[in-house]
Amino acid sequence: MDRQPVNASYHGSMRSRDSSSTGSDAREKIKDCFRKFVAFMFTQVGVGALVVCYAILGAASFMHIEKDNPDEQLQHVRKWRQSCAEELWNITVANNIFNETSWVLKVDKVLKVFQNNITAAVHTGYNGRSPEDIWSFPAALMYSLSVFTMIGYGNIIPKTIWGKIVTIAYACFGIPIYILYFCNMGKVLAQTFKWLYITAHECSRRDDAVFEEGEIIPVKRKITVPSTACLWVISFYILTGTIMFGAWEKWNYLDSTYFCVISLCKIGFGDFVPGANISDSAGGSHLKLVINFIYVLLGMGLVAMCYNLMCEDVRVKVRELKEDLKNCLDDITLKITVCMNDTKHFHQKQSRHVK
Amino acid sequence: MPRRKRRLASRIRAYIRGLLSFLFSNVGVIVLVVAYTIAGAFMFQAIEGESEMERMTHMALERNNTAENLWQNVTLALNLFNETAMKERITIELIHYQKKIVFAVRHGWDGGRSSRQWSFSSAFLYSLTVITTIGYGHLSPRTNWGKVVTILYTLLGMPLFLLYLTNLGELLARWFKCIYALVCHCRGCPGFTKRRAARFRQQLDISDAESIERPPHWKSGYLDSDCTPEYRIPPNARDFQRRPDYFRSASMPQPWERREALPAQPRGWSEPLAFRTDSEGTSEFSYVTFDAQTITVPISVCVCIMVGYIIFGSMLFGMWENWDQLDGAYFCFISLSSIGFGDFVPGERVYTPRIETSFIACSMYLMLGMALVAMCFNLMQVRLYKILKIFVFEVKLLMRLPTRLR
Repeated sequence: MDRQPVNASYHGSMRSRDSSSTGSDAREKIKDCFRKFVAFMFTQVGVGALVVCYAILGAASFMHIEKDNPDEQLQHVRKWRQSCAEELWNITVANNIFNETSWVLKVDKVLKVFQNNITAAVHTGYNGRSPEDIWSFPAALMYSLSVFTMIGYGNIIPKTIWGKIVTIAYACFGIPIYILYFCNMGKVLAQTFKWLYITAHECSRRDDAVFEEGEIIPVKRKITVPSTACLWVISFYILTGTIMFGAWEKWNYLDSTYFCVISLCKIGFGDFVPGANISDSAGGSHLKLVINFIYVLLGMGLVAMCYNLMCEDVRVKVRELKEDLKNCLDDITLKITVCMNDTKHFHQKQSRHVK
Repeated sequence: MPRRKRRLASRIRAYIRGLLSFLFSNVGVIVLVVAYTIAGAFMFQAIEGESEMERMTHMALERNNTAENLWQNVTLALNLFNETAMKERITIELIHYQKKIVFAVRHGWDGGRSSRQWSFSSAFLYSLTVITTIGYGHLSPRTNWGKVVTILYTLLGMPLFLLYLTNLGELLARWFKCIYALVCHCRGCPGFTKRRAARFRQQLDISDAESIERPPHWKSGYLDSDCTPEYRIPPNARDFQRRPDYFRSASMPQPWERREALPAQPRGWSEPLAFRTDSEGTSEFSYVTFDAQTITVPISVCVCIMVGYIIFGSMLFGMWENWDQLDGAYFCFISLSSIGFGDFVPGERVYTPRIETSFIACSMYLMLGMALVAMCFNLMQVRLYKILKIFVFEVKLLMRLPTRLR
């Protein structure tokens, strides 16, 4: 999506208002402020704030919908456990207590049934905690984030009908907002990075001056940011995430790297999610979830920046590749037709010889 | 005689070139994506399959341990006739066991179904979810090598899939515009254009190098048209170069397309060109060269297509997997938007012998669905961009902010 930047230059509006009378109207000032605010909202920072507000709004609504849902699965599991205990008791009562092997066999069968029930329950979303535990505010925030950034961790999922419908609607509106954020953030970061790169480049090459007609004119070359620089930035960010999550979650470094890459690539399996493990209590994991939220959001911005910077590069290279491929194909077809003509002439010569 | 041979040779060359470039750009990419997914499936099956066996035996061991514990602690230790106390002890033991099961299942154990979790078709679905960035997570790598290979597989596979999406999206958008023009405006199938162009060419006498095909009966003016939508003849054949094939964006109109010259009068295609004189100039050419690619499809049509596909998917999977309609639609939407929670995955809840085909059917549904989404984006993007610009312009006008006229 290459679109023209939607830049509202409120500096321009300020300049145009210079001549107007500032003395009298406070209302004018308020209107001016309001206009500037709207212009600011249309800029990139405004879009970022919009995304955060949307996530918070989503978190609040999902929490409200899902928290008070009486989870039937907990009751089911409790029922199964009781019936399993009943059966075990019956076995113990019925059998001769000194016959260990047959007792163990029967118990094994009962346990297997219990195991299959629990497994089926886990596959339908049971994870041993009640909805009040699961749907804390940071967890709901992470959930909203994973919906509109299309990561989709899946460690927390909506179980109610309303939850699912609201998820679909939330995604329908959230994904365009996110794409807008992605493009804008990518553009801003790409410009910043290009500026940084060019200043660093120029600083290091300040002695390169060209004498032209007695004047010293610094060489103005068109500098493009190479793709490798972008890759370095992303690698550094993943390294930061690895160290951070490795230290906090006590994952090993491979697992942390794996988590960072899977999140930033928007795959999001959900097997590793910081602060949302089953064994974690609700207390200390709130801060971790918020930091994870910020990390993922910023990481998406960096990915957008790399996409922006590498896009031109890749496009040029792909075009060159296609040209090369086309020339290659042309050569091959030419060779084939020449070969066919040669064999035809050869056969004609042969037949003339025979005659 | 040699002239005809030369024409034949150039025809063959052009045909082969066209075919090969079509293969390499469209069919080739599809084949490449499928091959990459299959290769990934084999790889992941090999890497993760062994650890799956270990986990199965581990869980069987756990069950035995629980039985042993029950025997040791409960039955031998307590008085046999104290029912409540014994049930309490049993319940505690069962809670431990239950936690272990939940932990194991959430970390990738399958529950002992007799079909292997990392069979070929489920590994295929896994590879597909990795490169489409859906990422269900019902299956995820447990070994270290599996994780490393997943990372590398992602980094290579995602650009490949993006290429697949752009190519296929463009192709489908082109075909859809052709169909849409044919259905809704009763014109614009480029077969007609070719017929016209052939007659027109006869009058203009274009050189060999510029014609793609010269069928043997070209003088009569009728030729079998095959719908190759990208062929068009420019208004003045000498000045404009031939439009490059297949690698153009279908939604951006070319500079020589004269949209304002398109006739509003509903003339039918049966009007023969021969009745026109040359003096009628360029409006006649633009009528002849009406191109289906210049129309914009309304957004509602795209939305209808997407909704229809989701409903189709929900019916299909609802029937197979015993999901109700809302769950099926929820699954289709979450998968096609590449969110992919993984709470609903075909073949996860209902264990039938058809589980392998479920996975393959799901994969095909996803691939086709994402191509349709790409097509809709392709069709909608021009319109959406225009709407957005107008909206921004209006808001700026309203707020009396300085507007940039483009």
